[in-house]
Amino acid sequence: MSELISSSIAEGSGNLDLEKIFRWFDLTEEDRACTVELGELTDDVGEHIIEAFYAHLLNDETAARHFRDDAHIAQVKRGQMRYFRELVSADLNDAYVADRRRIGSIHERTGVTPTLYIGSYAYYLNRLAHVVLERMDEDPHKAFHLVMSLFKIAHFDMSLALETYVDAREEAIQARERELSELPTPVLQLRPGLLLIPVVGTLDSHRARALTVQLLEGIQEHRASAVVLDITGVAAVDSAVANHLIQTMAAARLMGALSVLTGLSAEVAQSLVKVGVTGEALNTAGDLQRGIEMAEQLLKD
Amino acid sequence: MAVKVPILKQGKVLIASIQEDLSDSDILDLQHRILEDVIRCRAEAVIIDVSAIGILDSFGTKTLSEIAYSVRLRGAKLVIVGIQPDVALSMVLLGLTLPDIPTALDLDRGLALINGG
Amino acid sequence: MQHPPDVLVQAIRYDTDVISARQLGRKRAEELGFSRPDQALVATAISELARNIVVYADQGEIELATIHQPDRVGIKITAKDRGPGIADLESALADGFSTGNSLGLGLPGTRRIVDEFDITSSPGLGVIVTVVKWSRR
Ligand SMILES: Nc1ncnc2c1ncn2[C@@H]1O[C@H](COP(=O)(O)OP(=O)(O)OP(=O)(O)O)[C@@H](O)[C@H]1O
Ligand SMILES: [Mg+2]
Repeated sequence: MSELISSSIAEGSGNLDLEKIFRWFDLTEEDRACTVELGELTDDVGEHIIEAFYAHLLNDETAARHFRDDAHIAQVKRGQMRYFRELVSADLNDAYVADRRRIGSIHERTGVTPTLYIGSYAYYLNRLAHVVLERMDEDPHKAFHLVMSLFKIAHFDMSLALETYVDAREEAIQARERELSELPTPVLQLRPGLLLIPVVGTLDSHRARALTVQLLEGIQEHRASAVVLDITGVAAVDSAVANHLIQTMAAARLMGALSVLTGLSAEVAQSLVKVGVTGEALNTAGDLQRGIEMAEQLLKD
Repeated sequence: MAVKVPILKQGKVLIASIQEDLSDSDILDLQHRILEDVIRCRAEAVIIDVSAIGILDSFGTKTLSEIAYSVRLRGAKLVIVGIQPDVALSMVLLGLTLPDIPTALDLDRGLALINGG
Repeated sequence: MQHPPDVLVQAIRYDTDVISARQLGRKRAEELGFSRPDQALVATAISELARNIVVYADQGEIELATIHQPDRVGIKITAKDRGPGIADLESALADGFSTGNSLGLGLPGTRRIVDEFDITSSPGLGVIVTVVKWSRR
């Protein structure tokens, strides 16, 4: 079920199925009508809570670090007041969602952790409940309902912010992978005739092809007779990647250069065996140092 | 027919330098001449220099391996030298790896390989 | 038949035609900005397809067409003949299958070096192989 929510949220605020999500949060029309009952008390309650809330935040070293100066605090408090009015007005439309997600992404960027975020939201709600129950003590039943409704909306809020966190992280990871995969692989000459190629990152077929071409041209340019391919830094070696590596080494051999593969994990060794490679067809060494020694030995023979 | 691949004799080594892209019949012709020369000259080794060749497809590669095997049956060695980077890549992708035929970067290295071991 | 300028046709009958076809393909690939390795792959694919025509179908043709797209450019190679055709396509596409006592790598190898591969054949009516090689811009 949570998958349903996250996937529908991940689609972006534009085409969110809000009705479906409200059902999931048990957020009814009644709830949305209820919070409006705070009416003229809204600003008074809001101010009260916000003061208490920021006192709490600034009391904490980690939280306080997120505020530059008094002017910044004043600005954030004004934003918070608007936030509170929107919460109470319960006008939960696409614009509302977009705004909450924007705030979530600002938090993510500025390093507000989920713990800091949820912890302070919890404090905020707690204070809010107290203040509302106090101010509406002539009708505790109604006050209780109002608080419960605000809680639902607040949780809906939090889910939006957290989804944004996850999305932002996901995007950051993908961007880093893209960067890595576009990084050309260096071809280093260890000494005349001996090349070292440290392969780092993800080896999709496009990049594997580029790597092969670079290696082969490097062999020609440096007149190399041996190559050490170090795959310690390769993220995942499945059988497709293993195949690319084998093809690369076979092509190097056609040009008269022998290769040594180093940095194989146990899993990698296994996927190599799966694509039909045996130790004798392939020179492999446990670590880079031994790989280089092996290549030098092979050159002498 | 003009000879497209001169075969030079250097001591006990025959050097066949392919000068241009060869047709299938040119390659068969080369195969024939190399085998004749190995016998005639009592050659101990053959180097085929393919550095001027822009592609080695399945037929070309198959014929090169056949030449290597027959030369070996005559008790001589055969080394293929000068496979270019792009040629090596397309060969491997086609599935052609010449597994048990010695290769070297260029003619010098090929000669060194023959004299060294 | 009139071909648009982006289409080149090489008749295939003798083994020298195989050379002409692959040189034509390499030149076109170079003009279109294909990398050196990709030029070699285009030439190799043409060589395999053209040779199959000479060996198994006697004669046919290789057609080279250029495909322009916003983010890439491609060469479409069509090899056509009216020879005996291929009875068992699946086998013909498997590594090592050959009725010509050869390596049986021409078709499966070509399939590996191009980006799109399509083959149709009806026994008695010949073979059409269409492949596309793309170059990223
Ligand atoms: N144009 C064609 N017409 C009829 N049969 C064909 C044609 N092309 C291929 N074939 C059949 O398909 C088989 C496989 O072709 P493929 O090119 O893969 O291998 P091959 O030509 O036998 O060997 P290689 O290409 O490795 O030298 C051939 O042996 C032949 O039986
Ligand atoms: Mg063939």
